Amino acid sequence: MGEAAHMFKWKKLGKVFTPQEVEGRSWLKEFAQAPATLVFDDFVRVYFSCRPPADENGQYVSYSAYVDLDRVDLFKVRHIGEQPILSLGGLGEFDEFGTYPVSVIRDGDEVRAYYAGWARCESVPFNVAIGCATSRDEGKTFTKLGKGPVLSYSPDEPFVLSGPKIRRFNDLWYLWYIAGRKWKMVAGRTEPVYKIRMATSHDGIHWTKLNKDLIESRIEEDEAQASPDVFYANGKYHMFFCYRYSSHYRGKENGYRIGYASSSNLTDWVRDDTKAGIDVSDEGWDAEMVSYPHVFELDGKTYLAYLGDQVGRYGFGLAVLDGTLK
Amino acid sequence: MKWKKLGKIFDPTQHALPNDCVQFAQSPQTLVFNDFVRIYFSTRTVDKSNGKYSSHIAFVDIHKNLRDVIRVSDKTIIPLGELGCFDEHGIFPMNVVRHGTSVYGYTCGWNRRVSVSVDTAIGLSISHDDGLTFQRIGDGPVLAASRHEPCLVGDGFVKIIGDMFHMWYIFGTGWKKYAPDVPPDRTYKIGHAVSKDGINWVKEEARQIIIDRLGADESQALPTVIEIAGRYHMFFCYRQSFDFRKNKDCGYRIGHAYSDDLSNWTRDDKTPQLDGTPGEWDSDMQCYPHVFECDGKVYLLYNGNEFGRYGFGLAVLET
Repeated sequence: MGEAAHMFKWKKLGKVFTPQEVEGRSWLKEFAQAPATLVFDDFVRVYFSCRPPADENGQYVSYSAYVDLDRVDLFKVRHIGEQPILSLGGLGEFDEFGTYPVSVIRDGDEVRAYYAGWARCESVPFNVAIGCATSRDEGKTFTKLGKGPVLSYSPDEPFVLSGPKIRRFNDLWYLWYIAGRKWKMVAGRTEPVYKIRMATSHDGIHWTKLNKDLIESRIEEDEAQASPDVFYANGKYHMFFCYRYSSHYRGKENGYRIGYASSSNLTDWVRDDTKAGIDVSDEGWDAEMVSYPHVFELDGKTYLAYLGDQVGRYGFGLAVLDGTLK
Repeated sequence: MKWKKLGKIFDPTQHALPNDCVQFAQSPQTLVFNDFVRIYFSTRTVDKSNGKYSSHIAFVDIHKNLRDVIRVSDKTIIPLGELGCFDEHGIFPMNVVRHGTSVYGYTCGWNRRVSVSVDTAIGLSISHDDGLTFQRIGDGPVLAASRHEPCLVGDGFVKIIGDMFHMWYIFGTGWKKYAPDVPPDRTYKIGHAVSKDGINWVKEEARQIIIDRLGADESQALPTVIEIAGRYHMFFCYRQSFDFRKNKDCGYRIGHAYSDDLSNWTRDDKTPQLDGTPGEWDSDMQCYPHVFECDGKVYLLYNGNEFGRYGFGLAVLET
């Protein structure tokens, strides 16, 4: 059998949400990054991260918010959150300059959010650690579980712990995330290299790190990997993620693409990007890069939410699977 | 407890120091050998690009009379951390503890921030050559900010008691701007963590184990613990969180607490009472205590004025 027989067939449906079209929210001018879904009876709440305009030094802060899409017609926006779901942290705290990205999960009557908090540093532009917050109003507002992170730096994960994806399998909490490996100097600029990692927990608060790179690097040793989105279907675990080169990755050639790996036990993963089945388009909003995949199931169909050019500056889109995840 | 001051025993400006360091010998920490005592301290270089300090670890080997210097380290004991790492901009202090044939060095690593001056975390480096050089177990820390300890985890002091590693350390409770025209200042408190291997630690998450004497804005730093006659004694330093650098009334003093169960501590600052004579090296400030035993005597090393810019001194327990 040829590769094509194994490849997933994603049918692109187009861009769903464009932040530039939103009015009346000063904190939401550009970017709708890292979509993450929570399904309700008649709508799908999609969390994303966005930014107000950059400050006088060209620096951004980022917030997380949500948009409710009609369950019958996902291209129909029903509501956009009035406020960010989380405030920025206080002076000197890990999330003082950003709460991005966010991943949500139901836990009894609550919704729990795991998010990456951004601090600004002197020698490198930022550092990141992972915080947790809970909601008692169906995910509209969240209260942080503390002023500090629930997942922070350790000997093998020295900086940039970001991109959390929270899941529960077999009564255990799983957190997939990325951890910085090195800061690379490229043309006078510091660029982070990060790899996909995992931790487990019995309560979602106290975590045990696996301390292992889950996905082998393919395009280069310093390949950066992000958005490890794990989905269980048909007897195995599927991970869609994105990866890019370490240098000059802000354009088409070295920019983000979507990769794929599968596992039977959640810790050992076999990468096979030829199966991913989604790539940049010839033209349009996702012609330069595709990134930050998020898989969800809805009414018998499997969808993939993802970002297009400039890592979601102009919003996110959807694709639907033709067939099943096997 | 009655302490007798023995005066300043080491002045960094009187010695050649590694890493082009010129001043400061802060936070002395001892490793006792058969016939000498190795005292690690933090000294500083100035970053030429921005005039900021970076702290480096050095040591002085001193005779057991604790007066005569044998030598000062002339090589790098542990390099600073890599770009973007927790200890990129300084190591201050490093606490050393023997474990088997190794020496574990618990470093407080400094990294500079933008909205506040700095953050810190505690790393582990191990020496296999009796403390001449130390190698990191990884680029990241073993103890860092957590849910209720949002910043500035540092100043680890480790003691192995029975089969348990105990660490006393400090955690930041937050940063505050005390006046419109000054940069933010931090407040920290003393906490406790335990470990079976010295690497994986369980914190008593944000439990402040030493009560405040100066109120909520008291900063407590550099705990050091010793067992004397079946009772554990902790020395530390404390100060106001604002205007503590130049105003001697707000600056560091050495505090004390004791415990019989390593859990409940009773604060009792009546000891060590090292009051200085005006004009002396330690008359305006006393900080960064380190207590240790040598040939049956209990000693206290500490820094004086200007946070130890001109060295450290010694006191001995008389009763």
